[in-house]
Order: sequence, then C-alpha cells, then structure tokens
Amino acid sequence: MTAPAIPGTDVPDWLVARRSEASRRLGDLAMPSEREEIWRYLDLDFDPAFGSAPSQPGVAGDSDELTELWTGKVVSVIDGFVTDRGASTVASVSEQIDEGAGNDLFATAYDALAPGAVLIDGDHLSEKVFVDVQTTGVATTFPGVHVDVPPGSEASVVVRFRSTTDAPAVVVPRLTADVGDNARLALTVIQDWNYQTRAMARAVVNLGRDSGLTLSEVGLGAKIGRLHLDVNFIGRGSWAKIYGVYFGEDDQTLDYRYFMNHIGTNTRSDMFLKGAVEDDALSVFTGMIRIETTGIKTEAFQTNRNLILSSGASAQSVPNLEILANDVKCGHGSSVGPLDEDQRYYLMSRGLTPDVADRLQIRGFFEETISKIPHRDLLPWIRERINTKYITAQEEGRV
Amino acid sequence: MSNALEVTNLKASIGDLEILRGVDLVVPFGEVHAVMGPNGSGKSTLCHVLMGKSDYEASGDAFVDGVDIMGMAVDERARAGLFEAFQYPTEIPGVTLDDLTEAMAASNPSDEGYAARESATTKTLSMEPFRERFVNVGLSGGEKKRSEMYLLGVAKPKMAILDEIDSGLDIDAVREVAAMVEAMRSDDMGILVITHYSRILRYMAVDKVHVMVNGKIVQSGGPEVAEELESGGYTELQAANAR
Ligand SMILES: Nc1ncnc2c1ncn2[C@@H]1O[C@H](COP(=O)(O)OP(=O)(O)OP(=O)(O)O)[C@@H](O)[C@H]1O
Ligand SMILES: [Mg+2]
Repeated sequence: MTAPAIPGTDVPDWLVARRSEASRRLGDLAMPSEREEIWRYLDLDFDPAFGSAPSQPGVAGDSDELTELWTGKVVSVIDGFVTDRGASTVASVSEQIDEGAGNDLFATAYDALAPGAVLIDGDHLSEKVFVDVQTTGVATTFPGVHVDVPPGSEASVVVRFRSTTDAPAVVVPRLTADVGDNARLALTVIQDWNYQTRAMARAVVNLGRDSGLTLSEVGLGAKIGRLHLDVNFIGRGSWAKIYGVYFGEDDQTLDYRYFMNHIGTNTRSDMFLKGAVEDDALSVFTGMIRIETTGIKTEAFQTNRNLILSSGASAQSVPNLEILANDVKCGHGSSVGPLDEDQRYYLMSRGLTPDVADRLQIRGFFEETISKIPHRDLLPWIRERINTKYITAQEEGRV
Repeated sequence: MSNALEVTNLKASIGDLEILRGVDLVVPFGEVHAVMGPNGSGKSTLCHVLMGKSDYEASGDAFVDGVDIMGMAVDERARAGLFEAFQYPTEIPGVTLDDLTEAMAASNPSDEGYAARESATTKTLSMEPFRERFVNVGLSGGEKKRSEMYLLGVAKPKMAILDEIDSGLDIDAVREVAAMVEAMRSDDMGILVITHYSRILRYMAVDKVHVMVNGKIVQSGGPEVAEELESGGYTELQAANAR
C-alpha cells in the first residue's frame, strides 16, 4: 500500500522512512482476532478502508458550544491534517513513544498513513490549548496529537474528537505525551464521534522524574470507542491520576484498555472510572497495573464502577495486577450493577418521583468523577451531555 | 375532623416472617406521640411500611389527614404529607443537600414556602456548612440526624415520623432536637417520635406513649408509661406478648 503524499515541503526524513517501512508491513497484516483477550469484546467485522486515507483535509466544521466555552488557544486537526497556522504540521515524536504504540494492524496503519501529528510543545503551552480533532465524512483518517511538556513546566490540554457529518468512518487517533522531569500535564480527552464511527485510539504517555499527569477521558460517542492507553512511569517519583466517565447507549461499544507501567521507584497511579450503559450498549474496562522489578515502593489503585440501566446493556470490568517488585501497595475495586434501590427509596420518600430520583442518583454517580476533571470551564457541558443521554433514555422508555 | 395519622390493623411480613401483627394507632393534629419498644419489635418496619417501601407485604389501613395512602407509591405518600426521618439515613454520593431540597421544591410546585423554610431551618439548626455537602456522605451519626431534622423543617409535612432521631446524639443535641420538635408542634401537624430512651421525652411534652412489642402496640398511655419502662424494662411485656 502506498501512502498519500503529505502536503508541505519540510517533511522530515524520519517520517518518510517510518511511513515507507510501515507501509511494507501493513500489507501482511490482517484484522486482529477477537480470540485475543485484548480485542475480545469488539466486533471487528468491518472494512477499515485504509486505502481511502485522504491527501488533504475536508471542510472544517463550525465552532460549537464547547469551543465557545473555552478561554484558551484552539488548534484544529481536520481529517488528520493540522490546519492552523502557528502549530507544527508534523510532530517529531520520539521513536520510543511511537514504538510503545504497538504494531497491530491499526498502529501500523497509523505509522504508514498518518500525515503526522500536531505538536503541542513549549511554544504553545504558555496558554492552555484545545485541540479540536474533526472528521468531515472521509472514510478513514489518522489524527495524531503529541504533547511535549518541557521539564519543570505545566501544561493544560484538551483534545476533543468529533464528527462534522453523520457519515460512517474509521478513525485511528494517536495521542502521545512526553512529560519532562518535574513537569505537570493536565490532559482531558472528550470522545464525541458520531454513532457510525469506529475509533481505534491509542495513547501513550511517558512520565519523567517527579512529573505528574492528570488524564481524564469523557466517552460519549462512537459505534466503537476504543482507547488503549499506556502510561509509562519511567522517572522515579512520577504519578498519574486517571479519571474516566462514559455513557453508552444504542449499540455503542466503549472499550477501555488502560495499562499503568510502573518502571521507576516511588511512582503512583490512581484510576477512577465511572460508566453507565443502556439500550444495547457494552462497556469494557480493563485496568492493568504492571509493576516492574525496578518499581519498588509503587502505589497503584484502581476503581471502576458501572451502572447497567437496561436489560440489553452490559459492562465488563476487569482489574489486573502484575507485580514483579517488592514493597508495593495496590488496591482495586470494581462493580457492575443497577441503580441503588435504597437511594431511590430515600429520594422518593422526600417526594421525588422515581424518574426525578433516578436522575438525581445518576447525576450524583457521575459527579464524583466529573468534579475531579481539572478543566473546570468544560464541566457544565460534560454534565449536561451525560444527563441528557440519561433523560432521553427515560423519556423514550429504555430505562 | 380527620387525624394526622390513623392506622388500623396494619400487618406486614417478609416471606414467612410476620413483622407487624396488627398495629392500631391514631395521632391527632397538634399532638406529639412516642413509640417505644425493644430492638427488633418492628418500629422501623412500621415507618417503612407507612412510607410504602416495597420490601414488605402489607395489609390494613392507613390514612394521612383522611387520605388513604396504602395504595400509593412512596413519593405520592410523601407528597400527601407523610415524612419519615430515617433511623439510618441513606448516603447519596454526588448530590448535595441543596440539590435535594431544590428537587423537593420542584416536585411540589403548589407549595411556595420552600425557600423561606430552608433559610429558617438553616438558622435554627446551623446547617449552613452542610448544605453544599453530599447528602449524608461522611456525616457523623449526630450530623445525619440533624440533616434529617433539616429536611423535616423544609418539607413541613402533615405527619412526621421520627425514627430514633435521638440515637447517637450527645446531651446538647438531644435537647436541640427536642426543642425543634416542640417548636414544630402545630395544629396542622402530627408527630410520632420513635425512641429507646425516655431521655428525649424529658425535653418535650408528649401527649401519648405507645409501647410496641413483637409487632403490636401493647400499651398506650400518658408520659408516665415512659417512666415505668425506664425502671421496669420490656421483659414482662415481652413475656406477656410472645409471638
Ligand atoms: N428488610 C428486612 N428483611 C429481613 N428482615 C427484616 C427486614 N426488615 C425488618 N426485618 C426484621 O423485622 C424485625 C423488626 O425490625 P425493625 O427494624 O422494624 O425493628 P426495630 O423495632 O426498629 O428495632 P431497633 O430498635 O433495633 O431499631 C427484625 O427482626 C428485623 O430483623
Ligand atoms: Mg429501628
């Protein structure tokens, strides 16, 4: 398969080499098998149509409520292409981080076909940055975002994925970040693809010494909304707080595969995800805490709570531990179940109808996580979107 | 004239377990009654069955201000004027007390008094710091009871049942709660206080004391009944009213 040309003249050699090398491998790769644990809950019976990767962006969508709420800088990535002046078209993503993104069909297709990632680095990070990633109806696109946080600095980035049409699409996003020593990154990802989109996202974050990451993901859209995340705690004393909220309806599958790789000593991870599913939706969360022999004094915790709101919906919640070091502290909690009867009874005893009582319970359930997301100006929008999904399901009699 | 609460031959069971075995009880408007009784005698079950909790199979009659509540859903009973202060108030994570009272006011739009009662009760009970906190989450035992009293003040029901509102409270708090019950006494409300101790009854004037044993009211009388129980305990009454 040959990759479409990249617009512009200063395409770096490493990118040309990566693309041609990956293109050669891509021809031999098949769709991953659902027999492999990591793919097992996905319906992979679709044509990824990699041949239709575009050579130029389509027409950008209008700014919307969310970008209007935003008070910082906005950078747009349209069909995988960076369209704003002032942001680099091609990120010089470190090899280490791209290798960490794997070599399965989708990762290889990204390496072969992506026109490069938008680079958010020191030049942009004096201000908070909103990356507006759009697909415009093109069959298959490869948007990339790389955040490079220089040592000792603080960065605040939101990446929002959206579709500007109702057209079905395959999107293979890649999101990478290098957080330097003593640096901080607050990164919020809002996944809001249309319900015909199959999004196979891959994210890798490398953490330097004493650095910190707060990563939140809000899962709203997509037919398949997959996010495979690796956080590599390389520097000693590095930490990450990982938050997630997701709400599946229709025949959505929201598939989260989170890997916390503790390599440095004295590192700490906390994962806290809450989700709900109704209609025929499926959610999957597997949190893997892997502590290498060098990861002495690691502390790693994960909590995943799921509400099943209709009989056709289901949730898989699988905590995993792989501990090779001594002197570590780990904990996990996971639950899958319906709304709480005692809460409903209590709220009804205060005069609330069952519908209003359940709405309040849902709001409270998500609020515990939403309130932790550091991008506070976006929270009203996030609350509204989640609550509207639930209220619509109530009104249409599905829950 | 109708009474705040009228209960006739109320029975409740779960599976084969008969918990209430025919309770008769009348609380007229303007009166404060107490129900006392040993652990497990069915006092909380009486509250929940009147409130309409679905765990129980119930039969018998119950009227709030003359309105038959037995066929009603839990929220309809609340809107008909029944309030239960829970012995073990439920935690509602992520929902603040203000969120809850806002929803209460919205569910009862014909009553425009919510805002006024909120600020008045906030003052009486010094609730300011709790209104922004999640309902009952992380509250001490005593604070939960105070929060229930706050909701009672905000709801201003026709009939209030307070299930062990004094349990776990220190002396000052018991006095404060008793004073508030006294202050709420009015011609348009009946109050039933469920308690284990005559302590709280010292700080408020109860019109009647009922003793519940093994799912029945076995004795009713004036405040002196509480004093007798304090010295004699339930042993004799239990022996005489074994299942
Ligand atoms: N949901 C339930 N499931 C099973 N048993 C129950 C249930 N509710 C009440 N019971 C039983 O019914 C009996 C009465 O319980 P209840 O809570 O009404 O007692 P109580 O008088 O309020 O006691 P206490 O003074 O300890 O609060 C007890 O034996 C209790 O175990
Ligand atoms: Mg009780």
